[in-house]
Amino acid sequence: MPKVKLSGAEIVVEELKDEGAEVAFGIPGGVLLDLYDTLYKDDALRHILMRHEQCAAHAADGYARVSGKTGVCIATSGPGATNLVTGLANASMDSAPVVALTGQVVTSAIGTNAFQEASTFTITMPVTKHNFLVTRTKDLPKVIHNAFYVANTGRKGVVLIDLPKDVLAGKATVNLHPKETFAGYKPNIKPNLVQTKKAAEVLANAERPLILAGGGIISAEATEELRHLVELLGTGVVTTLMGKGAISEHHPFCLGMAGMHGHLCANKAINECDALLALGTRFSDRLTGWLLDQFAPDATMIHVDIDAAEINKNMPVDIPIVGDVKLALSDMIKWLEKKKKLGDKSVWLQRIKEMHSACEECIHDVRREGTSISDSVIKEISLILDGDAIVTTEVGQCQMFAAHYYMTREPRTFISSGGLGTMGFGFPAAIGAKVAAPDKKVVDIAGDGSFLMTCQDLATCVENDIPVVVCILDNRYLGMVRQWQELFYDKAYAHTGLGLTPDFVKLAEAFGCYGERVEKPEDLKDAFNNAFESGKPSVIDVIVGKDDKILPMIPPGGGVIGMIGTERCKHV
Amino acid sequence: MQTRIISLLVEDHPGVLTRMSGMFTMRGINIMSLTVSPCEKDGLSRMTVAIKGTESELEKVRKQISNLIEVVKVVDLMQEEPIIRDLSLLKVHVKDSKARSEVMQLAESYSAKIVDATLDSVTLELTEEPKRIDRFVDLMKHFGLKQLFRTGITAIGTASGTDK
Repeated sequence: MPKVKLSGAEIVVEELKDEGAEVAFGIPGGVLLDLYDTLYKDDALRHILMRHEQCAAHAADGYARVSGKTGVCIATSGPGATNLVTGLANASMDSAPVVALTGQVVTSAIGTNAFQEASTFTITMPVTKHNFLVTRTKDLPKVIHNAFYVANTGRKGVVLIDLPKDVLAGKATVNLHPKETFAGYKPNIKPNLVQTKKAAEVLANAERPLILAGGGIISAEATEELRHLVELLGTGVVTTLMGKGAISEHHPFCLGMAGMHGHLCANKAINECDALLALGTRFSDRLTGWLLDQFAPDATMIHVDIDAAEINKNMPVDIPIVGDVKLALSDMIKWLEKKKKLGDKSVWLQRIKEMHSACEECIHDVRREGTSISDSVIKEISLILDGDAIVTTEVGQCQMFAAHYYMTREPRTFISSGGLGTMGFGFPAAIGAKVAAPDKKVVDIAGDGSFLMTCQDLATCVENDIPVVVCILDNRYLGMVRQWQELFYDKAYAHTGLGLTPDFVKLAEAFGCYGERVEKPEDLKDAFNNAFESGKPSVIDVIVGKDDKILPMIPPGGGVIGMIGTERCKHV
Repeated sequence: MQTRIISLLVEDHPGVLTRMSGMFTMRGINIMSLTVSPCEKDGLSRMTVAIKGTESELEKVRKQISNLIEVVKVVDLMQEEPIIRDLSLLKVHVKDSKARSEVMQLAESYSAKIVDATLDSVTLELTEEPKRIDRFVDLMKHFGLKQLFRTGITAIGTASGTDK
């Protein structure tokens, strides 16, 4: 490619396009005038003006999780960049590929406490996979290429590029689209064949093997291989929160989500199995509980992860496999297919299938005795959407109700803040999701506390015609903390009451959105129909009970057996 | 608890040291010693890090270091029969000529160099294995140690002769 003389801003835009970026979520600012001037004159890259930088990062994150492509967000120097930080930390924790561009004061002013200066490079180091402070315009092609390469390979993550104003405004003669990369960055891809064979042997001979599917399955596009292995072995599969969608939760071998607010049957299966194949999961404390000796105590532990640092980090394992989970699964499937006879797992599979049916029956029993309005609301939503939508969630009770009862069919259709637990994530993530998949219905299952943290971006939805539906479980409390106060802090409800929360219907209307209040779960279907038919961004405000609790749960200090609130789960 | 010395080749970029030390802070590991210097390859620097921890903690840290994008190579020097050196500068108080001659005799037996002297002090330089420096420092404390400077550990493996 011949050398060309371009401004820094022009190089950035050219390289973004070359990396396949189609849309950027951002907010301009003083030091970004050159970049925005270039973006404005180039139609190839869509820019969506957000109303808060945190939302820009969450939208890029949601876009990335739904599309599999790298999400792009832009913020100006100083407060713009610091506002991004929560969103970057969120995407990092959940290994979502995001590239963030931030403006910076001119290089000669760095370190002088100039107007809107913050040391974005050092501030964002712990919340990114890698970051750059660019000091020369001519470095831009390589930096941007590497940012995308690092973000969307290996264990995916966030890369931030800090761009001083003079680097964007200055011109340089460069070769565009370079391919060279870091000498030390070799995302480990091929799993060791000896290890995969050993793992397959253990699974073949086990009587009660169990597969634990994490977000890595979705990230590696390995859902087909997962289903194949599950059926080939004839055994059960449970998922993490991030793994929801790795396999259809209607699959008769699937017991749904395990962990603190998971299904009792999923946790029991973990406790009872004699071999556990953990795929693309980091054994978060919200999955394992606090008593690790209750977590698959009799099982030979097999752990596949693309990040070697995750092996033996939280959970000691017997057979570690570092590499791409899609390749590891293919290797194991090949080996198992060659083997004539697998160990008998029929008794175990029978138990798995019975637990699955009982669980599915419970979810279809919308007004089951001993459950709350919130339970009914999510069950109703699950029936209304029937897996044919993208659901994002806020964080807290609403999130766990959704994770527990919303039946996911497809990968990349359940988007939630797993690691960081960021209230305010779901709505901007829904914006990113809708931009990535405009033909899909997109619903944010929200709480009133979470939604108020980022609701200003209703303006973004209206302005850019992004008709997402926000469904608020409105209890006028920070429900999850209240639940803990009720159960473990003698009902001392310290600062969890939100008092007179706004009229969310009027709030929606004030932004030019459709709003509707729902007092009874049975009215939800009409409300969703009205929202979808309005073609507008919508807010459905569902009144739920302040005492509603998401149960069963692993209490603090507990393990995967010993969940409390299991009275409703007579089936297991 | 054990001490491990890790030798790293890293890209010579601004911020690499911050990234490295930040990673240790994030993972709750205390650095005993960290040295950075140019090496035989242009564009790369060598870091020698000494850390203390349990076997499993140290293994976790080694993997996290390997994950840093600008780290080109990680060598666990304990597997390489390392030669370990630390450079120390000591300013020792000498109250009279008797003390002065004792200090100089001890310095000679440790092969420490006399690099400066005043009426009431002697400044010594000793490059040695850290443990031998510890012993020398303890001896000098008897005379009165005014100041002590140590560079921290640098180390080289002998097992294979060159970087693997």
